[in-house]
Amino acid sequence: MEILFYGIINSISLALMALGFTLVYGISRVPNFAHGALYVFAGFLTWIILNKLGLPYPLAILLALICSALLGAVISMGVLVRIRGMEMSEVIATYALGVAILEGFRWAGFKGMTYTLPPFFKGSVQILGVPIDYQRIMVVVLGVAVLAALWLFTRLTRMGLALRGIAQDERAAMMLGIDSDFAATIAMGIGCALAGLAAVILLPLGNIVIEAGYNVLIFAIAVCVVGGLGSWGGAVIASFVIGFAQILTVAYIRPQFQMVVALLAILVTLIIRPSGFFGRQKELEERV
Amino acid sequence: MIEARDLMVFYENMIAVNNVTLHCDDGQIVGVFGANSAGKSTLMYVLSGIILDIQRKERMRGGERVTVFSKITYAGKDISLMKPHERAREGIILCPERRRIFPESSVLENLKIGAYLASKEQAKETLDYVFSLFPTLDRLKDRQGGFLSGGEQQMLAIGRSLMAQPKLLLLDEPLLGLAPSIQKDVIRVIKEIRRDRRISIIVTEQYARPVIPIVDYAYILENGSAVMEGKGKELMNNPDVKAAYFGV
Ligand SMILES: Nc1ncnc2c1ncn2[C@@H]1O[C@H](COP(=O)(O)OP(=O)(O)OP(=O)(O)O)[C@@H](O)[C@H]1O
Ligand SMILES: [Mg+2]
Repeated sequence: MEILFYGIINSISLALMALGFTLVYGISRVPNFAHGALYVFAGFLTWIILNKLGLPYPLAILLALICSALLGAVISMGVLVRIRGMEMSEVIATYALGVAILEGFRWAGFKGMTYTLPPFFKGSVQILGVPIDYQRIMVVVLGVAVLAALWLFTRLTRMGLALRGIAQDERAAMMLGIDSDFAATIAMGIGCALAGLAAVILLPLGNIVIEAGYNVLIFAIAVCVVGGLGSWGGAVIASFVIGFAQILTVAYIRPQFQMVVALLAILVTLIIRPSGFFGRQKELEERV
Repeated sequence: MIEARDLMVFYENMIAVNNVTLHCDDGQIVGVFGANSAGKSTLMYVLSGIILDIQRKERMRGGERVTVFSKITYAGKDISLMKPHERAREGIILCPERRRIFPESSVLENLKIGAYLASKEQAKETLDYVFSLFPTLDRLKDRQGGFLSGGEQQMLAIGRSLMAQPKLLLLDEPLLGLAPSIQKDVIRVIKEIRRDRRISIIVTEQYARPVIPIVDYAYILENGSAVMEGKGKELMNNPDVKAAYFGV
Protein backbone atom coordinates (compact mmCIF):
# COMPACT_ATOMS: atom_id res chain seq x y z
CA MET A 1 0.00 0.00 0.00
CA GLU A 2 2.76 2.34 0.97
CA ILE A 3 4.55 1.57 -2.26
CA LEU A 4 1.41 2.28 -4.24
CA PHE A 5 0.80 5.67 -2.62
CA TYR A 6 4.39 6.81 -2.63
CA GLY A 7 4.78 5.48 -6.15
CA ILE A 8 1.90 7.64 -7.32
CA ILE A 9 3.25 10.68 -5.50
CA ASN A 10 6.74 10.15 -6.88
CA SER A 11 5.37 9.61 -10.40
CA ILE A 12 3.37 12.80 -10.33
CA SER A 13 6.39 14.66 -8.98
CA LEU A 14 8.37 13.42 -11.95
CA ALA A 15 5.59 14.42 -14.32
CA LEU A 16 5.59 17.91 -12.82
CA MET A 17 9.35 18.18 -13.25
CA ALA A 18 9.20 16.99 -16.83
CA LEU A 19 6.10 18.76 -18.08
CA GLY A 20 7.70 22.09 -18.90
CA PHE A 21 10.57 20.40 -20.67
CA THR A 22 8.24 18.30 -22.84
CA LEU A 23 6.04 21.25 -23.63
CA VAL A 24 8.92 23.38 -24.88
CA TYR A 25 10.39 20.53 -26.88
CA GLY A 26 7.01 19.51 -28.30
CA ILE A 27 6.24 22.99 -29.55
CA SER A 28 9.51 24.49 -30.64
CA ARG A 29 11.80 21.43 -30.82
CA VAL A 30 14.16 23.16 -28.44
CA PRO A 31 15.62 20.85 -25.77
CA ASN A 32 15.72 23.31 -22.89
CA PHE A 33 18.74 22.28 -20.90
CA ALA A 34 18.24 25.28 -18.64
CA HIS A 35 15.06 23.64 -17.35
CA GLY A 36 16.59 22.43 -14.09
CA ALA A 37 18.21 25.80 -13.50
CA LEU A 38 14.82 27.49 -13.76
CA TYR A 39 13.48 25.04 -11.22
CA VAL A 40 16.15 26.09 -8.74
CA PHE A 41 15.81 29.73 -9.77
CA ALA A 42 12.12 29.73 -8.88
CA GLY A 43 12.87 27.99 -5.58
CA PHE A 44 15.50 30.48 -4.46
CA LEU A 45 13.52 33.42 -5.75
CA THR A 46 10.49 32.36 -3.72
CA TRP A 47 12.75 31.98 -0.72
CA ILE A 48 14.26 35.43 -1.22
CA ILE A 49 10.92 37.16 -1.70
CA LEU A 50 9.51 35.35 1.31
CA ASN A 51 12.42 35.84 3.68
CA LYS A 52 14.22 38.96 2.52
CA LEU A 53 11.32 41.04 1.26
CA GLY A 54 8.87 39.61 3.74
CA LEU A 55 5.97 39.30 1.31
CA PRO A 56 3.23 36.71 1.96
CA TYR A 57 3.86 33.18 0.72
CA PRO A 58 1.22 33.02 -2.06
CA LEU A 59 2.40 36.35 -3.44
CA ALA A 60 6.02 35.20 -3.28
CA ILE A 61 5.12 32.10 -5.27
CA LEU A 62 3.19 34.09 -7.83
CA LEU A 63 6.01 36.60 -8.30
CA ALA A 64 8.59 33.83 -8.60
CA LEU A 65 6.53 32.08 -11.28
CA ILE A 66 6.07 35.28 -13.24
CA CYS A 67 9.81 35.94 -13.07
CA SER A 68 10.53 32.38 -14.27
CA ALA A 69 8.20 32.84 -17.20
CA LEU A 70 9.78 36.17 -18.07
CA LEU A 71 13.28 34.75 -17.79
CA GLY A 72 12.23 31.94 -20.14
CA ALA A 73 10.76 34.40 -22.60
CA VAL A 74 13.89 36.53 -22.50
CA ILE A 75 16.10 33.48 -23.13
CA SER A 76 13.87 32.57 -26.04
CA MET A 77 13.83 36.01 -27.63
CA GLY A 78 17.43 36.87 -26.91
CA VAL A 79 19.09 33.59 -27.72
CA LEU A 80 16.95 30.75 -28.98
CA VAL A 81 15.15 32.57 -31.78
CA ARG A 82 18.52 33.19 -33.39
CA ILE A 83 19.65 29.59 -33.35
CA ARG A 84 16.43 27.66 -33.78
CA GLY A 85 16.72 24.52 -35.81
CA MET A 86 20.34 23.89 -34.88
CA GLU A 87 19.89 21.33 -32.12
CA MET A 88 23.51 21.25 -31.04
CA SER A 89 23.65 25.02 -30.59
CA GLU A 90 20.37 24.93 -28.70
CA VAL A 91 21.67 22.32 -26.32
CA ILE A 92 24.93 24.15 -25.75
CA ALA A 93 23.30 27.55 -25.33
CA THR A 94 20.59 26.41 -22.93
CA TYR A 95 22.99 24.24 -20.97
CA ALA A 96 25.45 27.09 -20.65
CA LEU A 97 22.71 29.42 -19.47
CA GLY A 98 21.51 26.81 -17.01
CA VAL A 99 24.96 26.32 -15.54
CA ALA A 100 25.44 30.08 -15.38
CA ILE A 101 22.21 30.50 -13.41
CA LEU A 102 23.00 27.64 -11.03
CA GLU A 103 26.61 28.55 -10.44
CA GLY A 104 25.55 32.18 -10.12
CA PHE A 105 23.48 31.19 -7.10
CA ARG A 106 26.38 29.19 -5.70
CA TRP A 107 28.68 32.17 -6.18
CA ALA A 108 26.16 34.41 -4.43
CA GLY A 109 26.41 32.14 -1.42
CA PHE A 110 23.30 30.00 -1.77
CA LYS A 111 24.80 26.69 -0.70
CA GLY A 112 24.30 24.17 2.02
CA MET A 113 21.12 22.76 3.45
CA THR A 114 19.76 25.88 5.06
CA TYR A 115 17.26 26.98 2.44
CA THR A 116 13.77 25.58 2.80
CA LEU A 117 10.29 26.59 1.78
CA PRO A 118 7.42 25.97 4.20
CA PRO A 119 4.74 23.45 3.20
CA PHE A 120 1.40 24.89 2.06
CA PHE A 121 -0.38 23.13 4.90
CA LYS A 122 1.25 21.49 7.89
CA GLY A 123 0.26 18.09 9.17
CA SER A 124 -0.61 14.74 7.72
CA VAL A 125 -3.42 12.23 7.42
CA GLN A 126 -3.72 8.49 7.50
CA ILE A 127 -5.04 7.00 4.29
CA LEU A 128 -5.72 3.27 4.55
CA GLY A 129 -3.20 3.10 7.32
CA VAL A 130 -0.46 4.95 5.47
CA PRO A 131 0.57 8.31 6.90
CA ILE A 132 0.83 10.96 4.18
CA ASP A 133 1.54 14.60 4.83
CA TYR A 134 -0.63 17.28 3.30
CA GLN A 135 2.13 18.62 1.07
CA ARG A 136 2.37 15.27 -0.71
CA ILE A 137 -1.37 15.27 -1.19
CA MET A 138 -1.00 18.75 -2.65
CA VAL A 139 1.55 17.35 -5.09
CA VAL A 140 -1.03 14.91 -6.40
CA VAL A 141 -3.88 17.40 -6.49
CA LEU A 142 -1.88 20.18 -8.10
CA GLY A 143 -0.15 17.80 -10.48
CA VAL A 144 -3.46 16.59 -11.81
CA ALA A 145 -4.82 20.14 -11.88
CA VAL A 146 -1.84 21.40 -13.89
CA LEU A 147 -2.22 18.59 -16.42
CA ALA A 148 -5.91 19.31 -16.78
CA ALA A 149 -5.32 23.04 -17.11
CA LEU A 150 -2.73 22.52 -19.83
CA TRP A 151 -4.98 20.14 -21.68
CA LEU A 152 -7.81 22.68 -21.65
CA PHE A 153 -5.47 25.51 -22.61
CA THR A 154 -4.27 23.71 -25.73
CA ARG A 155 -7.76 22.66 -26.85
CA LEU A 156 -9.85 25.69 -26.06
CA THR A 157 -7.84 28.88 -26.35
CA ARG A 158 -6.63 30.59 -29.48
CA MET A 159 -3.02 30.65 -28.33
CA GLY A 160 -3.15 27.05 -27.13
CA LEU A 161 -4.51 25.87 -30.46
CA ALA A 162 -1.85 27.89 -32.27
CA LEU A 163 0.81 26.14 -30.20
CA ARG A 164 -0.69 22.78 -31.16
CA GLY A 165 -0.50 23.81 -34.79
CA ILE A 166 3.12 24.92 -34.53
CA ALA A 167 4.00 21.69 -32.73
CA GLN A 168 2.61 19.58 -35.56
CA ASP A 169 3.71 21.51 -38.62
CA GLU A 170 5.46 24.78 -38.10
CA ARG A 171 5.32 25.91 -41.69
CA ALA A 172 1.66 25.04 -42.18
CA ALA A 173 0.87 27.02 -39.05
CA MET A 174 2.86 29.93 -40.40
CA MET A 175 0.72 29.92 -43.53
CA LEU A 176 -2.31 30.43 -41.28
CA GLY A 177 -0.81 33.53 -39.70
CA ILE A 178 0.80 32.03 -36.62
CA ASP A 179 4.16 33.61 -35.79
CA SER A 180 6.46 30.73 -34.94
CA ASP A 181 9.01 32.84 -33.07
CA PHE A 182 6.28 34.29 -30.92
CA ALA A 183 4.83 30.83 -30.33
CA ALA A 184 8.26 29.52 -29.34
CA THR A 185 8.66 32.37 -26.88
CA ILE A 186 5.23 31.75 -25.35
CA ALA A 187 6.05 28.05 -25.11
CA MET A 188 9.34 28.78 -23.40
CA GLY A 189 7.63 31.16 -20.99
CA ILE A 190 5.01 28.58 -20.08
CA GLY A 191 7.61 25.81 -19.89
CA CYS A 192 9.77 27.80 -17.49
CA ALA A 193 6.77 28.80 -15.39
CA LEU A 194 5.97 25.08 -15.18
CA ALA A 195 9.51 24.37 -14.01
CA GLY A 196 8.98 27.03 -11.36
CA LEU A 197 5.60 25.61 -10.41
CA ALA A 198 7.12 22.18 -9.97
CA ALA A 199 9.74 23.77 -7.74
CA VAL A 200 7.35 25.55 -5.41
CA ILE A 201 5.17 22.46 -5.12
CA LEU A 202 8.02 19.98 -4.59
CA LEU A 203 10.68 21.96 -2.77
CA PRO A 204 8.77 22.21 0.54
CA LEU A 205 9.38 18.46 0.79
CA GLY A 206 13.12 19.03 1.11
CA ASN A 207 15.85 21.65 0.83
CA ILE A 208 16.59 24.03 -2.01
CA VAL A 209 20.01 23.01 -3.23
CA ILE A 210 21.90 23.87 -6.38
CA GLU A 211 22.33 20.18 -7.27
CA ALA A 212 18.55 19.86 -7.62
CA GLY A 213 18.94 21.79 -10.87
CA TYR A 214 21.06 19.04 -12.39
CA ASN A 215 18.89 16.26 -10.95
CA VAL A 216 15.65 17.76 -12.20
CA LEU A 217 17.13 18.19 -15.66
CA ILE A 218 18.16 14.54 -15.76
CA PHE A 219 14.78 13.37 -14.47
CA ALA A 220 13.01 15.52 -17.05
CA ILE A 221 15.18 14.17 -19.83
CA ALA A 222 14.66 10.61 -18.61
CA VAL A 223 10.89 11.02 -18.63
CA CYS A 224 10.91 12.63 -22.07
CA VAL A 225 13.26 10.13 -23.66
CA VAL A 226 11.35 7.14 -22.32
CA GLY A 227 8.03 8.71 -23.22
CA GLY A 228 9.07 9.78 -26.67
CA LEU A 229 10.35 13.33 -27.05
CA GLY A 230 7.60 15.87 -27.31
CA SER A 231 4.76 13.51 -26.51
CA TRP A 232 2.72 14.53 -23.47
CA GLY A 233 0.79 11.34 -23.07
CA GLY A 234 4.07 9.47 -23.34
CA ALA A 235 5.66 11.71 -20.73
CA VAL A 236 2.89 11.03 -18.23
CA ILE A 237 3.06 7.27 -18.73
CA ALA A 238 6.85 7.39 -18.56
CA SER A 239 6.65 9.34 -15.31
CA PHE A 240 4.66 6.49 -13.81
CA VAL A 241 7.00 3.82 -15.11
CA ILE A 242 10.12 5.57 -13.84
CA GLY A 243 8.38 6.81 -10.70
CA PHE A 244 7.36 3.32 -9.63
CA ALA A 245 10.70 1.87 -10.64
CA GLN A 246 12.39 4.40 -8.37
CA ILE A 247 10.12 3.73 -5.42
CA LEU A 248 10.62 -0.02 -5.84
CA THR A 249 14.40 0.32 -5.89
CA VAL A 250 14.25 2.60 -2.88
CA ALA A 251 12.13 0.07 -1.03
CA TYR A 252 13.94 -3.11 -2.01
CA ILE A 253 17.47 -2.21 -3.04
CA ARG A 254 18.76 1.04 -1.63
CA PRO A 255 17.67 4.65 -1.51
CA GLN A 256 20.59 6.16 -3.42
CA PHE A 257 19.55 4.44 -6.62
CA GLN A 258 16.93 6.94 -7.78
CA MET A 259 19.29 8.67 -10.16
CA VAL A 260 20.66 5.37 -11.39
CA VAL A 261 17.14 4.31 -12.32
CA ALA A 262 16.61 7.47 -14.32
CA LEU A 263 19.91 7.15 -16.15
CA LEU A 264 19.35 3.46 -16.81
CA ALA A 265 15.93 4.29 -18.22
CA ILE A 266 17.51 6.74 -20.67
CA LEU A 267 20.18 4.25 -21.67
CA VAL A 268 17.83 1.31 -22.14
CA THR A 269 15.39 3.40 -24.17
CA LEU A 270 18.07 4.76 -26.44
CA ILE A 271 19.41 1.26 -27.07
CA ILE A 272 16.10 -0.50 -27.60
CA ARG A 273 13.82 2.16 -29.01
CA PRO A 274 15.42 5.56 -29.57
CA SER A 275 12.10 7.16 -30.46
CA GLY A 276 10.71 6.37 -27.00
CA PHE A 277 8.24 3.77 -25.83
CA PHE A 278 5.05 5.74 -25.73
CA GLY A 279 5.64 8.43 -28.33
CA ARG A 280 3.14 9.12 -31.01
CA GLN A 281 3.35 6.72 -33.85
CA LYS A 282 3.67 8.26 -37.26
CA GLU A 283 0.09 7.78 -38.24
CA LEU A 284 0.05 9.96 -41.24
CA GLU A 285 1.79 8.31 -44.06
CA GLU A 286 1.41 10.71 -46.90
CA ARG A 287 -1.84 9.84 -48.61
CA VAL A 288 -2.12 10.80 -52.22
CA MET B 1 -4.92 43.16 -55.76
CA ILE B 2 -1.45 41.64 -56.09
CA GLU B 3 1.27 42.53 -58.52
CA ALA B 4 4.55 40.66 -58.45
CA ARG B 5 7.35 41.90 -60.68
CA ASP B 6 10.57 40.28 -61.77
CA LEU B 7 10.52 37.41 -59.33
CA MET B 8 13.73 35.41 -59.21
CA VAL B 9 14.62 32.51 -56.98
CA PHE B 10 17.86 30.56 -57.04
CA TYR B 11 18.43 27.37 -55.13
CA GLU B 12 22.19 27.21 -55.00
CA ASN B 13 23.02 28.14 -58.58
CA MET B 14 19.94 26.53 -60.06
CA ILE B 15 17.27 28.96 -61.06
CA ALA B 16 13.81 27.90 -59.90
CA VAL B 17 11.84 31.03 -60.79
CA ASN B 18 13.20 33.17 -63.57
CA ASN B 19 12.01 36.68 -64.06
CA VAL B 20 8.33 36.02 -63.60
CA THR B 21 5.86 38.87 -63.49
CA LEU B 22 2.40 38.02 -62.31
CA HIS B 23 -0.72 39.92 -61.60
CA CYS B 24 -4.08 39.15 -60.03
CA ASP B 25 -6.98 41.59 -59.83
CA ASP B 26 -9.67 41.79 -57.18
CA GLY B 27 -12.02 38.84 -57.43
CA GLN B 28 -10.06 37.14 -60.20
CA ILE B 29 -9.07 33.52 -60.47
CA VAL B 30 -5.60 33.24 -61.95
CA GLY B 31 -4.10 29.93 -63.06
CA VAL B 32 -0.42 29.01 -63.09
CA PHE B 33 0.32 25.87 -65.08
CA GLY B 34 3.51 23.94 -65.53
CA ALA B 35 5.02 20.48 -65.42
CA ASN B 36 6.88 18.98 -62.45
CA SER B 37 9.60 21.28 -61.10
CA ALA B 38 8.52 24.16 -63.32
CA GLY B 39 8.69 26.32 -60.21
CA LYS B 40 5.02 26.55 -59.25
CA SER B 41 5.45 25.83 -55.57
CA THR B 42 8.46 28.09 -55.37
CA LEU B 43 6.38 30.86 -56.89
CA MET B 44 3.69 30.30 -54.26
CA TYR B 45 6.35 30.43 -51.55
CA VAL B 46 7.50 33.77 -52.89
CA LEU B 47 3.98 35.21 -52.90
CA SER B 48 3.18 33.92 -49.41
CA GLY B 49 6.59 34.80 -47.97
CA ILE B 50 7.39 31.24 -46.96
CA ILE B 51 10.50 31.52 -49.13
CA LEU B 52 11.88 34.07 -46.64
CA ASP B 53 11.49 31.50 -43.88
CA ILE B 54 13.19 28.84 -46.00
CA GLN B 55 15.97 31.30 -46.68
CA ARG B 56 16.30 32.26 -43.04
CA LYS B 57 16.54 28.65 -41.85
CA GLU B 58 19.09 28.03 -44.57
CA ARG B 59 21.16 31.00 -43.43
CA MET B 60 21.04 29.94 -39.80
CA ARG B 61 22.69 26.72 -40.84
CA GLY B 62 25.44 28.74 -42.43
CA GLY B 63 24.30 28.29 -46.02
CA GLU B 64 23.61 30.97 -48.56
CA ARG B 65 21.92 28.65 -50.96
CA VAL B 66 18.62 30.39 -51.45
CA THR B 67 18.59 33.74 -53.20
CA VAL B 68 15.39 35.68 -53.74
CA PHE B 69 14.64 38.82 -55.69
CA SER B 70 11.09 40.02 -55.52
CA LYS B 71 9.03 43.15 -55.78
CA ILE B 72 5.52 42.45 -54.68
CA THR B 73 2.81 45.04 -54.23
CA TYR B 74 -0.35 43.95 -52.51
CA ALA B 75 -3.32 46.20 -51.90
CA GLY B 76 -1.11 49.18 -52.69
CA LYS B 77 1.65 48.19 -50.26
CA ASP B 78 5.12 46.82 -50.89
CA ILE B 79 5.17 43.48 -49.08
CA SER B 80 8.40 42.06 -50.53
CA LEU B 81 10.07 41.85 -47.14
CA MET B 82 7.05 40.97 -45.04
CA LYS B 83 7.18 37.75 -43.05
CA PRO B 84 4.73 34.98 -43.90
CA HIS B 85 2.57 35.43 -40.81
CA GLU B 86 2.36 39.16 -41.46
CA ARG B 87 1.25 38.52 -45.02
CA ALA B 88 -1.33 36.08 -43.70
CA ARG B 89 -2.61 38.84 -41.44
CA GLU B 90 -2.98 41.00 -44.55
CA GLY B 91 -5.11 38.28 -46.09
CA ILE B 92 -2.67 36.26 -48.18
CA ILE B 93 -3.24 32.63 -47.26
CA LEU B 94 -1.41 29.71 -48.84
CA CYS B 95 -3.07 26.33 -49.04
CA PRO B 96 0.05 24.26 -49.64
CA GLU B 97 0.82 21.40 -51.94
CA ARG B 98 0.14 18.05 -50.25
CA ARG B 99 -2.20 19.80 -47.82
CA ARG B 100 -0.08 19.66 -44.68
CA ILE B 101 -3.03 18.81 -42.47
CA PHE B 102 -2.26 18.70 -38.74
CA PRO B 103 -2.28 14.92 -38.41
CA GLU B 104 -2.94 14.59 -34.68
CA SER B 105 -5.71 17.13 -34.54
CA SER B 106 -9.31 16.32 -35.36
CA VAL B 107 -10.96 17.85 -38.40
CA LEU B 108 -12.69 20.39 -36.17
CA GLU B 109 -9.45 21.26 -34.40
CA ASN B 110 -7.65 21.72 -37.71
CA LEU B 111 -10.32 24.26 -38.63
CA LYS B 112 -10.07 25.95 -35.23
CA ILE B 113 -6.30 26.29 -35.57
CA GLY B 114 -6.98 27.80 -38.97
CA ALA B 115 -9.14 30.42 -37.30
CA TYR B 116 -6.16 31.91 -35.44
CA LEU B 117 -6.57 35.22 -37.24
CA ALA B 118 -10.36 35.26 -37.19
CA SER B 119 -12.56 36.94 -34.62
CA LYS B 120 -15.01 34.73 -32.70
CA GLU B 121 -17.92 35.73 -34.94
CA GLN B 122 -15.90 35.29 -38.12
CA ALA B 123 -14.75 31.88 -36.96
CA LYS B 124 -18.29 30.73 -36.25
CA GLU B 125 -19.69 32.07 -39.50
CA THR B 126 -16.84 30.64 -41.57
CA LEU B 127 -17.11 27.26 -39.87
CA ASP B 128 -20.76 27.04 -40.93
CA TYR B 129 -19.77 28.13 -44.43
CA VAL B 130 -17.04 25.50 -44.67
CA PHE B 131 -19.42 22.79 -43.53
CA SER B 132 -21.96 23.93 -46.10
CA LEU B 133 -19.29 23.74 -48.81
CA PHE B 134 -18.07 20.34 -47.64
CA PRO B 135 -20.80 18.43 -45.81
CA THR B 136 -18.35 15.53 -45.61
CA LEU B 137 -16.20 17.50 -43.19
CA ASP B 138 -19.18 18.05 -40.92
CA ARG B 139 -19.70 14.31 -40.83
CA LEU B 140 -16.02 13.63 -40.11
CA LYS B 141 -15.63 16.45 -37.53
CA ASP B 142 -14.09 14.24 -34.88
CA ARG B 143 -11.87 12.15 -37.10
CA GLN B 144 -8.11 12.72 -36.77
CA GLY B 145 -6.61 14.63 -39.66
CA GLY B 146 -4.08 11.90 -40.27
CA PHE B 147 -6.80 9.36 -40.93
CA LEU B 148 -8.55 11.23 -43.72
CA SER B 149 -8.40 10.19 -47.36
CA GLY B 150 -6.57 12.39 -49.82
CA GLY B 151 -9.79 13.98 -51.04
CA GLU B 152 -11.03 14.64 -47.55
CA GLN B 153 -7.67 16.13 -46.62
CA GLN B 154 -7.85 18.48 -49.57
CA MET B 155 -11.31 19.67 -48.54
CA LEU B 156 -10.02 20.18 -45.01
CA ALA B 157 -6.99 22.09 -46.27
CA ILE B 158 -9.17 24.45 -48.27
CA GLY B 159 -11.58 24.81 -45.38
CA ARG B 160 -8.74 25.52 -42.97
CA SER B 161 -7.38 28.23 -45.28
CA LEU B 162 -10.82 29.81 -45.46
CA MET B 163 -10.96 29.95 -41.66
CA ALA B 164 -7.96 32.31 -41.80
CA GLN B 165 -10.14 34.88 -43.58
CA PRO B 166 -8.18 35.14 -46.83
CA LYS B 167 -8.54 37.97 -49.28
CA LEU B 168 -6.09 36.32 -51.64
CA LEU B 169 -6.09 32.55 -51.54
CA LEU B 170 -3.11 30.69 -52.99
CA LEU B 171 -3.98 27.11 -53.91
CA ASP B 172 -0.95 24.97 -54.74
CA GLU B 173 -1.99 21.93 -56.76
CA PRO B 174 -5.35 21.42 -55.07
CA LEU B 175 -6.23 18.58 -57.46
CA LEU B 176 -3.09 16.57 -56.81
CA GLY B 177 -3.92 12.89 -56.57
CA LEU B 178 -7.69 13.30 -56.61
CA ALA B 179 -10.12 11.18 -58.59
CA PRO B 180 -11.78 13.03 -61.50
CA SER B 181 -15.15 13.24 -59.77
CA ILE B 182 -13.59 14.79 -56.66
CA GLN B 183 -11.55 17.11 -58.86
CA LYS B 184 -14.85 18.38 -60.25
CA ASP B 185 -16.15 19.03 -56.75
CA VAL B 186 -13.05 20.97 -55.80
CA ILE B 187 -13.22 23.05 -58.98
CA ARG B 188 -16.88 23.82 -58.31
CA VAL B 189 -16.03 24.84 -54.76
CA ILE B 190 -13.23 27.15 -55.92
CA LYS B 191 -15.74 28.92 -58.13
CA GLU B 192 -18.27 29.12 -55.32
CA ILE B 193 -15.72 30.57 -52.92
CA ARG B 194 -14.94 33.35 -55.33
CA ARG B 195 -18.62 34.03 -55.86
CA ASP B 196 -19.68 33.88 -52.19
CA ARG B 197 -16.73 35.60 -50.56
CA ARG B 198 -15.17 37.79 -53.22
CA ILE B 199 -11.81 36.16 -52.61
CA SER B 200 -9.13 36.44 -55.28
CA ILE B 201 -7.54 33.11 -56.03
CA ILE B 202 -4.27 32.01 -57.61
CA VAL B 203 -4.26 28.32 -58.37
CA THR B 204 -1.43 26.16 -59.72
CA GLU B 205 -1.80 22.84 -61.49
CA GLN B 206 0.20 20.55 -63.69
CA TYR B 207 -2.66 19.95 -66.05
CA ALA B 208 -4.58 22.96 -67.17
CA ARG B 209 -7.59 21.14 -68.55
CA PRO B 210 -9.76 20.77 -65.45
CA VAL B 211 -8.98 24.26 -64.15
CA ILE B 212 -8.86 26.43 -67.23
CA PRO B 213 -12.64 26.80 -67.58
CA ILE B 214 -12.81 28.73 -64.31
CA VAL B 215 -9.73 30.93 -64.60
CA ASP B 216 -9.85 34.51 -65.84
CA TYR B 217 -6.19 34.66 -66.67
CA ALA B 218 -3.42 32.11 -66.83
CA TYR B 219 0.36 31.82 -66.94
CA ILE B 220 2.35 28.91 -68.24
CA LEU B 221 5.63 28.18 -66.49
CA GLU B 222 8.45 26.23 -68.04
CA ASN B 223 11.72 25.74 -66.17
CA GLY B 224 10.96 28.72 -64.01
CA SER B 225 10.05 31.15 -66.79
CA ALA B 226 6.60 32.31 -67.73
CA VAL B 227 6.63 31.27 -71.38
CA MET B 228 3.09 32.24 -72.13
CA GLU B 229 0.18 34.07 -70.60
CA GLY B 230 -3.28 35.16 -71.55
CA LYS B 231 -6.98 34.94 -70.89
CA GLY B 232 -8.08 31.44 -70.05
CA LYS B 233 -10.10 30.89 -73.21
CA GLU B 234 -7.45 32.29 -75.52
CA LEU B 235 -4.82 30.00 -74.09
CA MET B 236 -7.11 27.05 -74.41
CA ASN B 237 -7.46 27.68 -78.11
CA ASN B 238 -3.79 28.24 -78.75
CA PRO B 239 -2.53 25.17 -80.63
CA ASP B 240 0.92 25.09 -78.98
CA VAL B 241 -0.56 25.24 -75.53
CA LYS B 242 -3.15 22.68 -76.43
CA ALA B 243 -0.55 20.17 -77.45
CA ALA B 244 1.67 20.72 -74.43
CA TYR B 245 -0.74 21.22 -71.56
CA PHE B 246 -4.05 19.71 -72.46
CA GLY B 247 -2.77 16.38 -73.61
CA VAL B 248 -4.62 16.60 -76.90
N1 LIG C 1 14.61 23.77 -50.97
C1 LIG C 1 15.08 23.52 -52.21
N2 LIG C 1 16.41 23.38 -52.42
C2 LIG C 1 16.90 23.14 -53.64
N3 LIG C 1 16.15 23.03 -54.74
C3 LIG C 1 14.82 23.13 -54.62
C4 LIG C 1 14.21 23.38 -53.35
N4 LIG C 1 12.87 23.44 -53.53
C5 LIG C 1 12.66 23.25 -54.85
N5 LIG C 1 13.81 23.06 -55.51
C6 LIG C 1 13.97 22.86 -56.96
O1 LIG C 1 13.38 23.95 -57.61
C7 LIG C 1 12.70 23.53 -58.78
C8 LIG C 1 11.27 24.02 -58.75
O2 LIG C 1 10.59 23.35 -57.71
P1 LIG C 1 9.07 23.58 -57.37
O3 LIG C 1 8.76 22.78 -56.17
O4 LIG C 1 8.80 25.02 -57.32
O5 LIG C 1 8.34 22.95 -58.64
P2 LIG C 1 6.81 22.67 -58.90
O6 LIG C 1 6.46 23.34 -60.16
O7 LIG C 1 6.01 23.00 -57.72
O8 LIG C 1 6.81 21.10 -59.15
P3 LIG C 1 5.69 20.01 -58.75
O9 LIG C 1 4.67 20.03 -59.80
O10 LIG C 1 6.47 18.73 -58.77
O11 LIG C 1 5.19 20.35 -57.41
C9 LIG C 1 12.83 22.01 -58.80
O12 LIG C 1 13.83 21.67 -59.75
C10 LIG C 1 13.25 21.64 -57.43
O13 LIG C 1 14.10 20.52 -57.42
MG1 LIG D 1 4.84 22.03 -56.46
